[in-house]
Amino acid sequence: MKTLLSILGGLANVAIVLLVAPFFQGVLRKITALIQSRQGPPIWQPYFDLLKLLGKEDIESGESPLMQRFAVYLSLATVLTVACLVPMGFTAPMNAAGDVILLIYLLTLCGICTLLAGLAAGSTYSLLGASREMMTMIALEPLFAVAIVVGAVHTQSFRLDTVLNGSVYASAAFPWSGVIMFGVMLLSFQAFVQRVPFDISEAETEIMEGPLMEYSGPKLALFKYAQMAKLVIYSALFVTLFVPWGTGLMFPLGWLVFWAKVTGLVLLVTLVAATHARYRIDQAIRYFAALLAVALVALVLASYGY
Amino acid sequence: MMTPEQAVVVSIFLCVAGAVLTLLVSRNKTAAGWLAFAVTAATAVLIFSAVAQVLTAGPSALPAEFWKLPKFGFALRIHVDGLTAMFLMLAALIAVPAAFYSIAYMRHYEDYGVARYYPNFLLFLAAMYGLLSTTDMMWFFFIFWQLMTLPGYALIRFENKKPENIRAANKFLIMMQIACVATMVGAEILAVTGAQVSGSASLKYDFGTVCANLPALLVAKPVVTALAFTLFLIGFGIKMGMWPFGQVWLPDAHPAAPSPVSAMLSGVMIKTGVYGLMRYFLWLVPISAQADYPLARWGLVVATLGTITLFTGTMQALKQEQTKRLLAFHSIGQIGYILLGTGACMALLPAKGPNAAVLASVAFFGALFHVLNHGIFKGLLFLNAGSMLHATGTQDLNKMGGLIQFMPLTAITAIIASFSIAGVPLFNGFVSKWSIYVAAVQGGGSAAYLPICAVVAILTSALTLASFIKFFGVSFLSRASTLVIEQARKRGRLEVGWMMQLPQVFLCALCVLLGVAPVIAFNMMQAAMNASQQSFGVALAQAAPMMGGPLRGLEAMNSAALFAPVTLAAVLVLMYVAACLVSKLGSAPRRAASPWLCGYVREADCHRYGAHNFYGEIKRYFRWLGGMPASHGASRTHPVSQPNLH
Repeated sequence: MKTLLSILGGLANVAIVLLVAPFFQGVLRKITALIQSRQGPPIWQPYFDLLKLLGKEDIESGESPLMQRFAVYLSLATVLTVACLVPMGFTAPMNAAGDVILLIYLLTLCGICTLLAGLAAGSTYSLLGASREMMTMIALEPLFAVAIVVGAVHTQSFRLDTVLNGSVYASAAFPWSGVIMFGVMLLSFQAFVQRVPFDISEAETEIMEGPLMEYSGPKLALFKYAQMAKLVIYSALFVTLFVPWGTGLMFPLGWLVFWAKVTGLVLLVTLVAATHARYRIDQAIRYFAALLAVALVALVLASYGY
Repeated sequence: MMTPEQAVVVSIFLCVAGAVLTLLVSRNKTAAGWLAFAVTAATAVLIFSAVAQVLTAGPSALPAEFWKLPKFGFALRIHVDGLTAMFLMLAALIAVPAAFYSIAYMRHYEDYGVARYYPNFLLFLAAMYGLLSTTDMMWFFFIFWQLMTLPGYALIRFENKKPENIRAANKFLIMMQIACVATMVGAEILAVTGAQVSGSASLKYDFGTVCANLPALLVAKPVVTALAFTLFLIGFGIKMGMWPFGQVWLPDAHPAAPSPVSAMLSGVMIKTGVYGLMRYFLWLVPISAQADYPLARWGLVVATLGTITLFTGTMQALKQEQTKRLLAFHSIGQIGYILLGTGACMALLPAKGPNAAVLASVAFFGALFHVLNHGIFKGLLFLNAGSMLHATGTQDLNKMGGLIQFMPLTAITAIIASFSIAGVPLFNGFVSKWSIYVAAVQGGGSAAYLPICAVVAILTSALTLASFIKFFGVSFLSRASTLVIEQARKRGRLEVGWMMQLPQVFLCALCVLLGVAPVIAFNMMQAAMNASQQSFGVALAQAAPMMGGPLRGLEAMNSAALFAPVTLAAVLVLMYVAACLVSKLGSAPRRAASPWLCGYVREADCHRYGAHNFYGEIKRYFRWLGGMPASHGASRTHPVSQPNLH
């Protein structure tokens, strides 16, 4: 019974992510257009884009097409696996598959797939993009890890349902570490979802989508889909870790509150993305390093019980 | 039926006899190779049966004595308990594929005979068997240490026509002699100043005697004892490549040796240092003397050194552009993880917290499992590097590219090894790192510095990934370089023969097996701890931290931390199939084409984005950490006008 429930819950999560991800992308594009005084595409446009790309010609320009296919399929597969582990309004369905450390490493695996795809394509621009993407990941992985570790230290557990439940505020005294990490993660959130000003590895205007440059047709569709899903998943993670209030309400209410918070976060991402210019990679790394220093202070506070 | 101790002694003698025989037939490279492999395999069978015996039926009650000269306090006493068994198993497990790989690999050396190779290889192996099982801290320690160092020296300077190899070998020799002196002086302090309470005076350097003397010594002369343990830490630290000693010898020595020997050096030899550290710090002091033995403080020292080692080693590895040098720096980095795990165990064992004992043994199991895993994936990576060297004739990553289409099987094993070392879930490296993180983060209640060490370790894990993305990406993926195309045209086929593929596939299968079913290793380690119940080993055995089964995966601390690889693999495969199906929905036509180069027709080698170009900003910010490749400018002098034929 328990197993069946967790399987159904996982499938439900996957379905939800797949359904709403293009919608959020549509909202993002529409609002960006409004901020920039354009009319913008209709809100359903990303659905049509994906469908259209699935039927377009698939041009494989790398020297190892098998690796390219593997990287593309694994990219979406990893994102969907993560979707099974993250609570989307209810508790995390696949609780028994792993803990939060696994979550950190699975999120890294999502990035690895993009890197492999870029390297397999082998264009100079792709390699340049892959190198930048990896440098961003080096800085971002520990930031996310600190947020998780702060929660794990407070709750003495690594379980997904325990930690992904506002655990950063679970200290006895005033949760200084949780508040600091909330700020740090908010300031670096654009980078986690790869939007301006931290979309350095894609940077359409300078290196033409970097790792994705050589991809077209269904492969591009899967990559874009994975990217849209990442926005939803990271928003859900952020909400469950840092804005847990109201999710515990009765069924439809708590669920609606959760998705309202996710939508709010997406709007914030859009607002920042539409009003900022892209950073250079060295500027971004310095920025992340400063945030990491603050995060380590939060971690020290957490291990002393604040 | 032989006792485990007899099996070890017979293995040592087999190796020595094999060394003489291979020397006699060294005219014929293939015959010598097969002979060395047969001897190695025979010792492996003996060692595995000994290990199985110890893990299932428990160790012998007392060390076995083979040869004794009481006048000098000199006796060959061998004891195989659980801890020794685990390390012996690792040695045999890596030596067999390395020996098999050597048969084909050593044939490509045209200028060098194998008379200096196989005999030394076997002596080197014999010494490791001996060092891991002797209970003598002085004379036989010295004999086996020298027996390991001198053949090691000869193997590192095997290609003695290159002056840099001779320099590397000399550095190795000097550092190992310093380590030997440090460790022996430490043993002398513990033995000579100890009151002769029990045991015969003639065996004053034996583990048993030292163990019996230590409680009194810890009370009477705490400073001198601490000095002895500091010397042990330095001695074994040099051997295992701990910061700051490792950077002196290790990155030069590993690339200089022939690839199978690099695999042995990195996979097994440096682990004898880890064995020494674990044995001397955790199994030497009787648990009754716990109050006088500052184990938690030693834990702080070891965990801090481990954290520094893993960060510096990996950051320096990120800067490398030579395959084997890159792997060598990563050996330092991965030893840092092992040290962190051991240090966390030492810090948590004496702590009073509710979970402290369980966490300490989670940390120890993580460290011990990482010893095993590092041996497997680093051995595999060095064999991969050997195959790449065999195919392209260079170790320079800047000159490689697109090897995957020429040597697909090596590529697959290399990517699995890279994933393993980078800690990708479902491969073996993840599980051991996971255990170390679990212990270090939750150990924050007893030792507040441990969560910070854990975060540095997670950061370093990303650095490791970055380094191996570069390693694999620029050599196997990306576009075929001029050198690779020329080699392929000249030789017709670049992929190595089956005799070099088989060992790679074997080690690769182990990476996947231990990644998907880590419970096998944890059951084995639990049995090993049950079979080595002296001193702090008792606490480690009783904690029994990990529950689980092959399907359920691993659980620690009432499932506060859990990892179920089979479930995860099932979900991932399901989603992978789903992604495949989605991409087929539109039945889009597929076509191969050359990449778009912004209007330029051909990509020349000088436009390539090579290993040198990767991670420029990070390398610049951490320039002060050192380890920059010396051949920095030289490697970029490509002939500019050599278009790539595409």
